[in-house]
Amino acid sequence: MLKVKEVQKAFGDNQVLRGVDIEVAKGDIVVILGPSGSGKTTFLRCLNFLERADGGTMDFDGIHTELKSASKAVVSRVRKKTAFVFQNYNLFQNKTALQNVTEGLIVARKVPKAEALARAKAALDKVGLSDRYDYYPSQLSGGQQQRVGIARAIAVDPDVLLFDEPTSALDPELIGEVLAVMKKLAKEGATMIIVTHEMTFAQEVASKVIFMDGGVIVEQGSAKQIFTTPKEERTIQFLRRVLKDFDYVI
Amino acid sequence: MQLNTQFMWETFLDVLQGIPVTLKIVVVTLLVSSPLGFLMAVSKSGEGRIGRRIIVAYVSVIRGTPVVLQILFLYSLLPTVLNYLIKEVLGSSYNIFNLDPIFYAYVVFILNTTAVLSEVFRSALSTVNRGQMEAALSIGMSRPQAYVRIIMPQALVAALPNICNTTVNLLKSTSLAFMMTVKDITAIAKIDASFGYNYLEAYLVIFVVYIFLCSAVQGVFHLTEQGVAVYKKPVVS
Repeated sequence: MLKVKEVQKAFGDNQVLRGVDIEVAKGDIVVILGPSGSGKTTFLRCLNFLERADGGTMDFDGIHTELKSASKAVVSRVRKKTAFVFQNYNLFQNKTALQNVTEGLIVARKVPKAEALARAKAALDKVGLSDRYDYYPSQLSGGQQQRVGIARAIAVDPDVLLFDEPTSALDPELIGEVLAVMKKLAKEGATMIIVTHEMTFAQEVASKVIFMDGGVIVEQGSAKQIFTTPKEERTIQFLRRVLKDFDYVI
Repeated sequence: MQLNTQFMWETFLDVLQGIPVTLKIVVVTLLVSSPLGFLMAVSKSGEGRIGRRIIVAYVSVIRGTPVVLQILFLYSLLPTVLNYLIKEVLGSSYNIFNLDPIFYAYVVFILNTTAVLSEVFRSALSTVNRGQMEAALSIGMSRPQAYVRIIMPQALVAALPNICNTTVNLLKSTSLAFMMTVKDITAIAKIDASFGYNYLEAYLVIFVVYIFLCSAVQGVFHLTEQGVAVYKKPVVS
């Protein structure tokens, strides 16, 4: 369904992506792992044109485009097929939880108001916030805010959900509630591309794991393959380091 | 020394007629300067390089010169230039020297306030984090839609305290309009005082009037701030 090839991106002299390919089928849960600075977030942002790649092509459900020269119309079509969940939630601070979700439906997709409200409520119910419709972001905990962020993303009924380290800004005790929602979405067959550092979660839900470093894909395969029998030295090093993090006892 | 209370009361009544003039300058200036200042703030944070330079130059000229000097300069320059334009270029027989001097006051204060407000809005816009713009784009909203519905409302709330400051400063600066023969509060007090040299009494009266007006402005802004910032309030449960 989604296929991107040879994605390149540099910030000044810093070549962040050096030709990244990815293929995603409907229902896939793709987890991207890698150390900081490996380009995973930038890659995800390029998929939604929040960052304009310097090179590469995209085939997405009938849309074929160069990433660099994609027209406004194409960008808009791709954005309407995808939804993004941000590390820092990026909720609209001047809107309630419900308005955060309806905004994209009513303003961007011209969904009639009554239908938008119903869909927004359904989305918020799904992430377990049926009692928080009229709360402003500043009145919600981090975990609740991120769940509103997820509701905002799923309400627009995207073909692919993009998650950029959705739990990295959360207190450890709030991470669980967000991951639980994501697992639920995975079970329901949503297509997701997830950048995360949650290894246990990745092992559990990923249908495909990609390990990135230095702007390239070092290794990819099923979760089992990557976590139990990694082939590349760089992957082994990385996994040893991050998995060890869970060993210590406080 | 004794204060002439009878004179003070009469002056007070006279001065009341100057309040609408003063407020008119304030309101007209704000109505014109706010949108202009906002546009300048947006284009300053935008891409256009030439536009940005012009705006930076304009703001530093205005902020780097005293208002009194701006008034003296424009009040000397404008009538002559306009007269030339009307007589020589347009060939009209309109006498520019009959023009109500309040228009010159508008020009000076609009030039001034626009510069100040553009900085106020610029800093207010920067308080709204870029992520919200990205979030809006990511769910398919256009940049203008995101500006109008998400960024601007928050920037305006953030700007309110500084807009209040600007308004109070503007209101006080309008007292300089008497230099352009505008009959505002200060001008009326000066004229009244000059008949019998009751300057002290006249100034005392408008002292109080200005305090009252400025307090009223601050009160209005305070109420507005409370009204629009609902989303900043912690929940009461």
